[in-house]
Order: sequence, then structure tokens, then C-alpha cells
Amino acid sequence: MISAPRSRVGGGGLSGLLLVALPVLLLLWLVLWPVLQAFVGTLYFPGKGFSAASYVYFFSDAYSLRNLWLTLWVTALTSILRVAAAMPIALYLRFRTGSIAALVQSLALFPLFVPSVLVAYAFIRVLGPNGIVDTLLVAVHLPKLPSPYLQPAGPIIGLVWEGLPLTLLLLLSGLGRVSTASVEAARDLGAGGVTIFTRIILPRIQSSIIVALAFNVLGLFSAFTLPYLLGPASPEMMGPYMQRTFSDNADPLNATTQAVITFAFCAAFGLIYVRAIAKGRKGLR
Amino acid sequence: MNRREFLMVSTAATLAATTRFASAATRLDMYTSSDANISDFFSNIIKPAFESANSGTELNVVIARPQAALDAVVQRALAALSAKADPQLDFIEQYDPLLPAGGIDAGLWTDFSKAGLKNYGTLNKLAIQTPYGLPYRGSQVLLAYDTTKLAKDKVPKTFADLVAWIKANPGQFIYNRPDKGGSGNNFVNRVVHEVSGRDPSKFKVDNFDQATADDVLGKAWAVLNDLAPSLYDKGAYTAGNTASLQLLAQGAVTMIPAWSDQALQAIAKGVLPETTGLVQLTDLALCGDFSKAVIPTNAAHRDDALKLADFLLSQEMQTAIIEKLGGFPAVDWSSLPKDLHDKYADVIPSSIPTFPQGKWTTAVQDGWYRNVAPNISRT
Amino acid sequence: MTDIARLPPAGALSDLRTRVRRREPVDWTGIAFLTGLAIVILLPLIVTAVWAFAEVWRFPAIVPQRMGLGYWQETLTRNDVWQALWLSLSITTTVTVISAAICFPAAYAFARLDFPGRNVLFLAFLSVQAFPKFGLIVATATIFLTLHLVGTFWGVVLIQLVGTLLYMIWIPVSAFQGVDRRLEEAARDVGAGPMRVFWSITLPQALPTLAAALLITFVSTFYETDAAWLIGLPNVRTMPMVMISFINNALEVQYGAVLFVFLWVPSFVLMLAARRVMGADAFAKGLGG
Repeated sequence: MISAPRSRVGGGGLSGLLLVALPVLLLLWLVLWPVLQAFVGTLYFPGKGFSAASYVYFFSDAYSLRNLWLTLWVTALTSILRVAAAMPIALYLRFRTGSIAALVQSLALFPLFVPSVLVAYAFIRVLGPNGIVDTLLVAVHLPKLPSPYLQPAGPIIGLVWEGLPLTLLLLLSGLGRVSTASVEAARDLGAGGVTIFTRIILPRIQSSIIVALAFNVLGLFSAFTLPYLLGPASPEMMGPYMQRTFSDNADPLNATTQAVITFAFCAAFGLIYVRAIAKGRKGLR
Repeated sequence: MNRREFLMVSTAATLAATTRFASAATRLDMYTSSDANISDFFSNIIKPAFESANSGTELNVVIARPQAALDAVVQRALAALSAKADPQLDFIEQYDPLLPAGGIDAGLWTDFSKAGLKNYGTLNKLAIQTPYGLPYRGSQVLLAYDTTKLAKDKVPKTFADLVAWIKANPGQFIYNRPDKGGSGNNFVNRVVHEVSGRDPSKFKVDNFDQATADDVLGKAWAVLNDLAPSLYDKGAYTAGNTASLQLLAQGAVTMIPAWSDQALQAIAKGVLPETTGLVQLTDLALCGDFSKAVIPTNAAHRDDALKLADFLLSQEMQTAIIEKLGGFPAVDWSSLPKDLHDKYADVIPSSIPTFPQGKWTTAVQDGWYRNVAPNISRT
Repeated sequence: MTDIARLPPAGALSDLRTRVRRREPVDWTGIAFLTGLAIVILLPLIVTAVWAFAEVWRFPAIVPQRMGLGYWQETLTRNDVWQALWLSLSITTTVTVISAAICFPAAYAFARLDFPGRNVLFLAFLSVQAFPKFGLIVATATIFLTLHLVGTFWGVVLIQLVGTLLYMIWIPVSAFQGVDRRLEEAARDVGAGPMRVFWSITLPQALPTLAAALLITFVSTFYETDAAWLIGLPNVRTMPMVMISFINNALEVQYGAVLFVFLWVPSFVLMLAARRVMGADAFAKGLGG
């Protein structure tokens, strides 16, 4: 640790390996090894040899592909909505002190403490048919709204609500690296709000945005409770679909195949983050 | 006293805390993922009775809800079987013995027909689907409806009437996804029975065949797809039994299929209003099901678990299932007191149709997702 | 992205300007956010809170037809609720502390040092979250069974610790990555030792992000149930396990609502603490001004 900053890039091979050793060993032992076993189990069958039949089935099955496609677009839309909702709040919180800011932050972070099952129940009670919104509308003699419950919009609303705090925290922590002085300096030079945001703020928080997106993709690909409780029966998101294949259809082979495919999509996105980090390392040196 | 009254009595009993003290006595780890009324029944009624009949044995009621939690524990037991370790699981109050895949072949579940249970012979033969699961209580699906919107004398009594009513009242009926709860599942099963000549005995746990399935299920999908536009939200399906009950409670729909015991309990607890009516189809009843207990062969306290299994089939406990739980007995009525039968004759039918677990159920559930669920008109 | 970006910085900047001017009577931006969040975040929570006191509440009544404390009494007089809360707090604290101890140094190494296999190892942490749990149940259970860790406190700690690796490595890496190297070099140029540089330059700058990682880890570990079910049963029952078994498929939403409202107090305390570390004051301190 002490010698680390001095060693610069190119050195520190051994100390680097020592520092990462514990978490990496835990990972190898309790995650990577089981993942590898599961992966091999979808391709190699003792006594029968290799077969990629379950993968061929997945990619030729219109129903599975539709579920994958739904997962992709729900993930994209939800991630964008989360960042869009969290960014203004994060900017406000970064440059503001005082009791109102403290309240705004506490409120925006509150969904972090609400388990998914409860989000679903609260959602049904509020936006569901004859929920509190309908009740209030009826009370003032307005027509009821069409409920998003069991509609494609249902899980998206729930997921954005649930995921807001994580996105906000990551953006906020990234904004911590934007120095007030640099913003003020740019201001003095006559830069407008948009210029400051794109030229000064955005480059500094780029890695935080990518981390936020990466975590969103990971979380949404395995989202289970909200899509299942709030969404339509079909198409299904990959989370409920895999779970149903695994336990209701008692079909571990196809379920694991779906898991590997899901994993591949997440890994592709993880790679983007890793590259961004590697680029950042060079750029900042 | 009718079922509704005794249910109110039994639900008035407060939830008892599960004792978690490891005493010197043998501790039997019994798992349940069923709804709260079942775990309360075990904690408040079965536990004290079993412990006083078997001194030195403690019954530890372990609540593993949701189902996925219990599935994980069962996978763990399967892993323990090959690792020759203690699965820390002695008894499951309700589990499909055909799961997990390959479990029976690996020798995971105890064969009750060979376990030497004293009371095994008293079981209702129709309730037994496989010897690896021990049926010990039953329940049935019926239709629950809002009597303020649908008068008791206008309520459909046959399947054809029901279809006509659903179409005449679009948006007022919903059933849950068949894999997510028995009420929706048995509604779909009733459709399968309807298109195959209303003969439940045609479907057995060991007579699945793809050609018949394609033919029969194809017809069932046609009926269900025909109904879809008249359902709530033009073809939406709730994610479970309780979600349907809540839509009924909120007044968002007029009629749903529901488990009899759950509906009665919901009325008793005020979740559903007093104006909720219950009705069974008369041409062929909606299916019921028996809960099957399982015991892993590698359970550390397998002998005590078998004692518990036998105990559940005893006259005393089967009577409690009828009187305290509002369920159906799994043993033949002939092995229960005659006055008990007379007392409940009007609320508990002597036999209920069932649908086999295993391949038939998988074919119905997965087929429904692929053929019925996607056909939704959002216009 | 640009559409979203257009307005807020302007708002933030006007805030800045007002800060320079020292005094601003009304924080209109804040009030606007507060109103929006109150509707979006608070309304569902208030409805849940009212449910905790409702015994009968049916459409179209705006307030419950019958209220009472019956569900509170039933829930909070249960021994296992209190035991579970205590157990959850100790497991979660243990996991978070151990995780920070092993992960923060590793994150530092990933961000700053060059060693063989760095990118591959870093990417590999993704598998903690990206591979669905059901595919790993049998393999994981076998490992824990052979170690006799099933049903034990430390078994649950170990499995949940693994679950935290991704957050506790990936988020801090972005923190150490973002530290301004020129400040570190400047400090070294005036003769500060490496330890001193780390404590007074690197750590303060990374602190808000590290705090975010700790908060996310603490809360997500507290509410984690999948791994806890697999390894904890039958002996270890954490608060969310109790909670979810109350809520899941329960006819009465009240039990869940009571437990949820009951957890508001510790959550709010934690949140106010978070503002201390994550707030604008802390950023200012971290940047020395």
C-alpha cells in the first residue's frame, strides 16, 4: 500500500497482485468455478459428448428471442430514464447546501430502503385499478386513469422508481470530483450552462455514468420481482423467464443456457466499462 | 357450524412465534412455503400435539416463503445427497416430489408406500399420484364473485354459462398465470377438461403423450384465446392467487377463480367484503389438489420425520384439518367418524377432480405462455 | 442526454452564483425538486404507511374504513422479529467491514497499479451479479455443505460477502481513478511521504464515492435474501427473510406495511449520516475549499 503510489504504471506487479489476491480468490472459489461448471454443463454431456443444441434451440425459438428482445429494450429505456431522472437531482445536490437539499437527498435515496416486493404492493395500491390515484380522481369527479398495472409500462415505472437511488449515488459521487473552483473559473470566462456541463462536468463524471449504466444493465437483466408482479404475462423479461424455465418447467439445461446468454450480454457491457477505465487511466496520467 | 364460522374461529388465534431454542431433544426441521394460514396451523395445532405424543422431539417449523426459497433448500438437499452431508432438512409440508429434475432418480425422496406407515392404507387412493409424495390435506378451486354486481341467482353454474357471462361482461373476469398459483392453473385445467369430454380420469401422471397433448391443448388454447379479449384489461393475467383476490377486493373485477380455503379466510379477515359470493360449477367442478409432504432419504432425523408423516394421517389431525383449517381430508371418509362427515357434508364434497402434476402440468403451463399469453389486443 | 443536460446545469449554476453572492432567500430549484419527489416517492410510502394502520380500506374511500393498531401489536410482540433485526444488523455490519477491508485495497490496485491479468480479473467480478443465482445453487451448496457452514452465521457472512465484491471493487475503482494526480504530485514535490499523500490527498478525494459504495453495500446486504435462504435456513433468519415471508402471497398487506414502517427509523438515520459524507459540504472539504 505504502509503496503503491510511488511504483507508477509498469511497476508494482507483485504488490498489485497481492492487494487483489483476497477478493480474487474468493471470486474464483465461490463464483467463477461454479459459473464455469454451469457453463460446461450446457455444452458437455457425460457419456454423450459435446452438443450446442440448447443454444441452437434458444436462437431459433421465436418465443425466447422475443423475451430477450423485450429485456434489451426495457433495460435500455429504464437505464436512460434513471440517468435522466437522477442527473438533474445530482447536479442540484452537488452545488447546493442547506436543509432543503438535505431533504431532497433523503427523499431521493429513500427507495434504496424499500424491498422490491413492497414496491410492487405500493405500486398496486397507488397506480393499480381503483388505487389511491383513482380514488382521488373519483373524489374530485374526474375520470379514472388507465392503470399501467399488468401493462408493459408497469414494471418500467416500478424499476425506475426502485433504481433511482443507486444511479443518483453514483452520479453524485462522480460529481464530487468536479471542483467548484473549475466551474467558477469557467463561469468567469463567460461559459454558459450547457458548455460547462458538456466541457467541464461531463468529462469528469464519465466513468461514473458508465458505472451507473453498467450496474443498471446488470440489475435489469436479472430483475425478477417487479417485472413478474407488475408486468404483462408475455413477453417475459429474462429474469422471470429463466426462473420459470428452471423451477416450473424443471428444465435446468435450458434455464442455464438462458443464463449463459444473459451473462454474455452483461459481460459485453462490462467490457465497455473496463475499456473506459483503461482509457481513463491513460488519459489522466 | 359451517366452514365460514369455524374459519373465523381458527383465524382468531394469533400467530405464534416459532421457537428457535435448540434444546437437547431431537429437533425436526420441518419446512413450509405455504401461506400463513398453513404455517400457523402447524405452529399452533400440529406442533403441540406432535410434541406431546412424542416426548423428546421438537418440531421446528421453518417458514421458507417465497417458493424460490424452498426450491433453493431442496437443491441444497440434492447437493447434500451427493456430498453425503446433512441437508438440515427433515420434512417439507408441501412440495412436488417430481421436482427437482432428476431428484427421484437420484433417490432424493422417501418412497412412502414402502416406509411402513401405519396409516398409509387409509389414504384416499385418488389423492395419490406418486408414492414419493404423501397427500395429507386437500383444497379446491371455485369461483368467487362480488354479489353487489352479480346477483346470486344470476351466477353461472356451468362452464358454458361462465363463458357466456365473461363475454357479456367484458373486463370483469381475470385468472392468474397458471404457473404462479393454483387458482388460475385449475381454471385452465378446467378448460382442458371441458374440451376433452369432462373426464378428469383421462389425464394421469404417467400417461402423457405428445400427440394427445397437441390435440387437446390446441383446443383449450382456442377456447382461452377466444375469452382473452373479454378478460380484465383485454387479456391481462395476474401474477398469483392473492393478486387476483386483491383485484376482486378493490372492486376492479367481478369474478375470479379462487382457492376455497383462501377465499373463506379472506372473507373472515375482512380482506374480501362480506358481500363476496362463492360458487362451484355443477357440470364438472373446478379442480382441487392435495398437498403432498415429502421427506428426503438423507434427512438426519428421517425416522422422526416418518413419525410426523404418520401423525398427520391420524384421525385426530385429519379432523383438525377439516375443522381448524377448512381443508379437505386426504384419508378416506370411511376412516373418519361418521358424524364428522354428516356435519360437513354440504361444504366438503366427497371427491374432487384433480389434474396430474409432472409432464401434463408442464405442458399446460409452458404451452399457455407460448399460445395464450402473447395474444393480447391493446387497441 | 443533451436534452436532459440543458436545464439542470443552468439551475446548478444559478445556485452557484447565489452562493457567491452569499445569500439567497428562497431555494426555488430545491422546492421544485422537493415537490416532485414528494409526489413520486412519498405518495406510495404514505399509502403504505396508512395501510399499516388500516384494518379495512376499500375503494372508493379516501381514508380507511376501519383503523387500528392490531397488526402492530401482532407483529412487534413476536420475538423472532426483534431477534431477526438484531441478527441482520450484525451480519450486515460484519459483511460490510470485511468487504471494505479486502476490497478497497484491491480497488486501489486495480485503479493505479499495473499487474498481469488486471483487466481480465477486473472484468471477472462482473460474474458476481451477471450470472443468475439458480444456476449456481447446487455448486455453492456443495461447497458450504462440505465446510459445515450451512445454517451458520459465518456461512451467511461468507456468501453475502461474495455478493458485495462487485459493488466494493467497481465503484471504488472509479473513485481512485478520478483522483486528481496533479494534486498528489504537487504534494510529493513539496516533500510529503506516500502515506501522507494517500491520507491527505487521495483518500479525501475518493471518500464520497467510497461512502456511496459502503452505503449501497450495507443496504443491499441488509435486504439480500436469495443467498441467505440457501445458506441460512433453518437456523439463521434475517429481518428481510421474516419480512418477505410476511409479505409474499399474504392476504393482508398490513404485516409487510408494519415491518416496513418499522424500518423507516433506522433508514432515515442512515440517510442523514449519508448526507454528512456525501453532501456538498463534504465535497468542498475533500477539495480543500
